[in-house]
Amino acid sequence: MSMETVWLDYDVIVIGSGGAGSAAAHAASGAGASVLVVAKDPIGCSDSKIAEGIVTVRGVADDADSHEMLADNLRIAGGDLPTPEITQAFAEDSEEAYDWLRRQGVRPRIDNDRGAPRALPIPLGGHTHRRSVGHDNGGLSVGHAAWNAIVQGAGIDYLEDAWFLDIVTSVDADGRTVLGGLVYDAGKGRLLAVSAPAVVVAAGGLSTLYFPNTDTMRGNTGDSFALAMRAGAELVDMEQVQFLPFCLTSPPSYEGLLAGEPATAGFLGVIRDAGGKLILDSVMLRTRAECAAAIVKAVEDGRGTERDGCYLDLTANVKAERSGVYYRNFLETSLSSVMVTVRQALGRAAAECKEQWEIRPGAHYSMGGIRVDEFGSAVSIESRDRVKGLFAAGQAMGGVFGANRLGSTSLSEGPIFGTRAGRAAAALRGKKNEHFTSRNTDAFEIRLNHYRGLLGRSGDKAGSSLIRELQRAAWKGIGPARTRAGIEKFLRQSANFRHDAKKIAISDEGLWNQSLINYVEFVNMLDTADAIAISALQREDSLGAHIRLDGGTTSVLFEKAYSVSTYFDEEMNLKVGRLPRPPTPWQRVLTHILRDRKRKLGMKILRLLPVSLQDRILEKRYRAVMGNVELDGVKPKSVKMPQEIEREAA
Amino acid sequence: MKVELVTYRKGQARSVIYEYVPREEGERPMVLDVLLQAQATKVPDLSFRYGCRNRTCGICTVDINGKPRIACRARARDGDKVSAVSTLPAVRDMVSRRDGIARQLRGKLPHTLRANDLNVEAPADYHALTACIECYACLDHCPMHARNLDSGGDKRNEDGAYRWGSPFSLLKLQRIRLDPVASGLDGEKAFAAATDLGLEICRDCPGCKCGVGIDLKNKVIKPLLEAASEPTAKD
Repeated sequence: MSMETVWLDYDVIVIGSGGAGSAAAHAASGAGASVLVVAKDPIGCSDSKIAEGIVTVRGVADDADSHEMLADNLRIAGGDLPTPEITQAFAEDSEEAYDWLRRQGVRPRIDNDRGAPRALPIPLGGHTHRRSVGHDNGGLSVGHAAWNAIVQGAGIDYLEDAWFLDIVTSVDADGRTVLGGLVYDAGKGRLLAVSAPAVVVAAGGLSTLYFPNTDTMRGNTGDSFALAMRAGAELVDMEQVQFLPFCLTSPPSYEGLLAGEPATAGFLGVIRDAGGKLILDSVMLRTRAECAAAIVKAVEDGRGTERDGCYLDLTANVKAERSGVYYRNFLETSLSSVMVTVRQALGRAAAECKEQWEIRPGAHYSMGGIRVDEFGSAVSIESRDRVKGLFAAGQAMGGVFGANRLGSTSLSEGPIFGTRAGRAAAALRGKKNEHFTSRNTDAFEIRLNHYRGLLGRSGDKAGSSLIRELQRAAWKGIGPARTRAGIEKFLRQSANFRHDAKKIAISDEGLWNQSLINYVEFVNMLDTADAIAISALQREDSLGAHIRLDGGTTSVLFEKAYSVSTYFDEEMNLKVGRLPRPPTPWQRVLTHILRDRKRKLGMKILRLLPVSLQDRILEKRYRAVMGNVELDGVKPKSVKMPQEIEREAA
Repeated sequence: MKVELVTYRKGQARSVIYEYVPREEGERPMVLDVLLQAQATKVPDLSFRYGCRNRTCGICTVDINGKPRIACRARARDGDKVSAVSTLPAVRDMVSRRDGIARQLRGKLPHTLRANDLNVEAPADYHALTACIECYACLDHCPMHARNLDSGGDKRNEDGAYRWGSPFSLLKLQRIRLDPVASGLDGEKAFAAATDLGLEICRDCPGCKCGVGIDLKNKVIKPLLEAASEPTAKD
């Protein structure tokens, strides 16, 4: 059977309905544009919804916190790969973005003395100031906000159960221009050809490439990156995939789920190898990348557990009796959903931090992404100028975090750059020049015919099993531990996968064609995986989240920073290049390093003190930010265990 | 362990018996694990929704032996029958059309709250309602939502929105009424929307059941019904 094609006209298409997509749609419609949101998952069901719900808000708890400090924190943690204009935009807009979330219904606890949202008592690893605001119900509060903004939004139309297939562009002497896009509306069983002068890509990340070693939404099949790259945009820093250090290794149903942040370690938590030997101290002050690297290297040395993990040992925090109460209160209030997961998976003693947790890194976030300016406008490969009308926001964009992302920053990134991209996209409305008046149906028809031709195709491969094979190969070859030989092997496997993709059987169903969906996602995952692999090959030394076991370590202070860029050339061959990045002034890096050394030394000394002395010092520190906590005040969030959930009396 | 998977394609329901292969000794898999393994092996084009595997995204709800359950946190048992939820129209296999629920709130929520002071603490009940993951387990046995599906139909307006409400929709509206940043007008509008969606049907209902344990009866339905009973200024 053939699928009906419906032609639509909008000013702005937004792909994705999470923290970035919702803000982009809201901003664009607020600026007068007609907006279509296209989401394959139900509206608002994104990584923002399932996150811990902690948001970076500059200056929220500390007047000494400045724009420059936040921007520096991002750039230094990111190994100077983030672009200064973008980190500056992040620093300047974080409060406004947070207020946008609050206008959509996010309600923090309030510090009445300051008349401001209450920040977490401990700065998250890599932040020099307390500027992370947690929320009851974690990311769900942000999920509701995204949902409200889209479902209610005047001037915003939306589709869920709709797979965005391709961005349609035209190329002429002026360069490349967006004409709109193609959508498979699986819920209604039809193809949509949507004409629009602007497309905002906010379709999240790529972590599903590493399933089951990931704690993110299934929908993260690299769609953002593949769509943009195929539309002629450039990607940057794709080798920089954030693997969170502390994800669960078992039981199987919980594999890959988040067990904690560096901040979870508290003042006294450490990482140990399978034999109990200490491999990293001062964990609370470390970035995610540092912790993940320590684990990966220990496992590679043969010092890991049977499940290729190590241990997060938090026991010292609760041995100190009085401060231990504060510590557990911090965990249960600031990281409550993580603690629920730990309690279910590892049991009560582990959740009370009396036993160590077996953990290993899991894919969480793509720092790399579409190369854009600070307004989310994509940079093209031909002119090194713009793909006119192509924008990106949220995890889809690159240049914000570089080699490492600090905790709580992604939930700010969504609304900060979603709003910027939405406004910039809306500014193109009405500019229906010669590209649009003719609706340029040829450009649409070429892509439409490609997808129509897939329907009813016979073959001896199944997309779903190829996806599983690709996931296994990606974890091994381009996962957290990389070598030249491993990456090259992956690229050979990937070439075979491309061959196999042509043999995937695709049914002729119109409504919810699962084999077509699997095919589309498999190809997006392959395009994205190749971009990661080719970038990982280009960067021969370790930097941030990119760990090359066969290379050295990049010095931020003494080596010139560069980003790896990837793109398709006109024959759709994947190309790779380097973009020089301006260094943070060395004085500021040095100040940061000295300050960091001092804090780590302080923490080391603290760890070696007798328990009674530790207890007194820590109680004082916790009390200073948390106020008095009742000694019996640690009340784990009451949550039913799966055994109870499974068969509640009806 | 054998699990019956009810596939639904081109209007036809068929059962597939799938035998789960444990991944480690003594494994007690969740229903989602069974679906994932079936898709990776015997039923490659099996359709089902899932997201976070952690009982937060709310999209993997299926019926297990006729009762709505969140698949990623429901242990599978020998002989279980897994099918799409019965409360929404089936699309394919375990996937049902969810869209008609959310759409009924179009134009009924404040577009943007414009209060000057955002630094106001929300009441505990506001946070209790924010715990909703939109799993739609609450549609089960809801007499209000049942009217949408009366006589086997799937009654939605041109925009695809259901006429009658559900505990989920009422929760979203009650949440606005509890929000200290929302204006009185926003609250009145939310209440009017609840009435329009069929709030009065709740009077004769023993109560609804939430998939994640929110006390819907006391925190959503009761306060709305009480407000409906209060004499208005006109009276």
